[in-house]
Amino acid sequence: MREVSKSFGTVQALRGFALSVQGGEFVTVVGPSGCGKSTLFNIVAGLDEPDDGGILRFKDRGCHARELLGRVSFMPQRDLLLPWRNVIDNAILANEIEGASRRDARARALAMLPEFGLAGFEKQYPHQLSGGMRQRVALMRTFLFERELMLLDEPFGALDALTRTMMQRWLLDVWQRHRRTILFITHDVDEAIFLGDRVLVMTARPGAVKLARQVDLPRPRTPDLVTAPEFVALKREILDAIEEEAMKSFIASTGA
Amino acid sequence: MTAARARFTAPIRAGSRFLLGLLLAAAVWEGAVILLGIRPHILPRLSEVLSAIALTPGAYRDGFLRTLAETLIGFVAGAGIGVLNGVAFFRAPVLRDMLFPIFVVSQTIPVIAFGALVVLWFGNTLMAKAVIAFYLTFFPVTVNTLLGLNAVDPRQVALLRSFGASGRQVLLRLQLPMALPQIFVALRLAASLSLVGAIVGEWFGDTTGIGVLLLQAMYNENVVALWAAILCSALLGTGFYALVALAERRIVFWGAEQ
Repeated sequence: MREVSKSFGTVQALRGFALSVQGGEFVTVVGPSGCGKSTLFNIVAGLDEPDDGGILRFKDRGCHARELLGRVSFMPQRDLLLPWRNVIDNAILANEIEGASRRDARARALAMLPEFGLAGFEKQYPHQLSGGMRQRVALMRTFLFERELMLLDEPFGALDALTRTMMQRWLLDVWQRHRRTILFITHDVDEAIFLGDRVLVMTARPGAVKLARQVDLPRPRTPDLVTAPEFVALKREILDAIEEEAMKSFIASTGA
Repeated sequence: MTAARARFTAPIRAGSRFLLGLLLAAAVWEGAVILLGIRPHILPRLSEVLSAIALTPGAYRDGFLRTLAETLIGFVAGAGIGVLNGVAFFRAPVLRDMLFPIFVVSQTIPVIAFGALVVLWFGNTLMAKAVIAFYLTFFPVTVNTLLGLNAVDPRQVALLRSFGASGRQVLLRLQLPMALPQIFVALRLAASLSLVGAIVGEWFGDTTGIGVLLLQAMYNENVVALWAAILCSALLGTGFYALVALAERRIVFWGAEQ
């Protein structure tokens, strides 16, 4: 994948949003709540069309959002596992839909289990798993659906703080081995800086890019990074930007 | 492994308790009639009813099997058509707006009024009774299928669409399985209703069936035979309901967890 850029003028959620992501890049998006992050993702996932005048490019070719259906692997906020499928069959759902042979897909998923900390759990059903494990099954489903671009919409939002940091490190680990392009939404600034090659801060609704910062911190990243001076300086800057936007939307909502 | 063992022993324990309850109820029936001196034409002793069945087991067995066949055919047809209707209404709202009110009206016509007509159309056949059983069952299944399909989380649908799933794949892999708990609620109801339909259908004229046994006993004021027929229909109704409930527990093993 070379470049995805989009600029479109919606009345509400997004206005004149432009973004391009390089292949293999890990881009994180933060912003005040209700800034249109999810709208952005729905467009990139092909679920919503942007308004007229918007331009989407995928692999240097202009396209409609709906053409992106099946070409981007999307992970929503909730795990959305199917309760009647066990771990393996949930993980291969996307592969099954694109018509891959079940046996091959199962074999690949089975080989991937240890990497996702799910070894020995292949026959379990979602209601028998913890929240962190369910989330890992959902991530595995996203990874198995091999597409150039992965969209992760606050995948760790529902997890407790400890599980969350574990999952972040683990995700970086997996990403470094598989080298996928990732667009990652979060509202946690630490998470955004810790994970990303680049952090985007969105403005209050209508959403646009307020600030884009390259994160020039060495990889592999370790947990003590969060106290490094460069990290703190970057965090300061991003927090200020978010604060400003949050105040704007707060004033807009109370002033009206 | 205790959980696995509990899965096997729990149903056995529950089953044996149920049997104990049945025996207790039988003893209370028998004892009450004797102790309170209830006259036989109000309530005969259970043992008398059972021995009446044992005296002419063939008549009861034939009646049971005949009504069972009518009930089953009506139930299966009603469930199948009901689910298809639900899916069709879900996929084509135009169809739903056109036909659903007609279905509702059809369901407000009492089955008794309708039964004579069906017998006129289909004659005194097994099919006529199955049609009445069908008439009572397809509607609740239609309604619940539609409800279940509409209740599927739109985010889940969006996820499958993002994988490039076609409408058909979304229906088969997500919406129908998700609707199963709702559909089974209707199927349990339909299990009882289809038996009612079959018995009422037999009242419009037939020679075998539990409904026929009930009518004959009523005309002859034979209270013992009446109770015998009631026991037969209870056995059929409960057994069928239990089968559907068992299938539900096997198929919808994940429960209402979403």
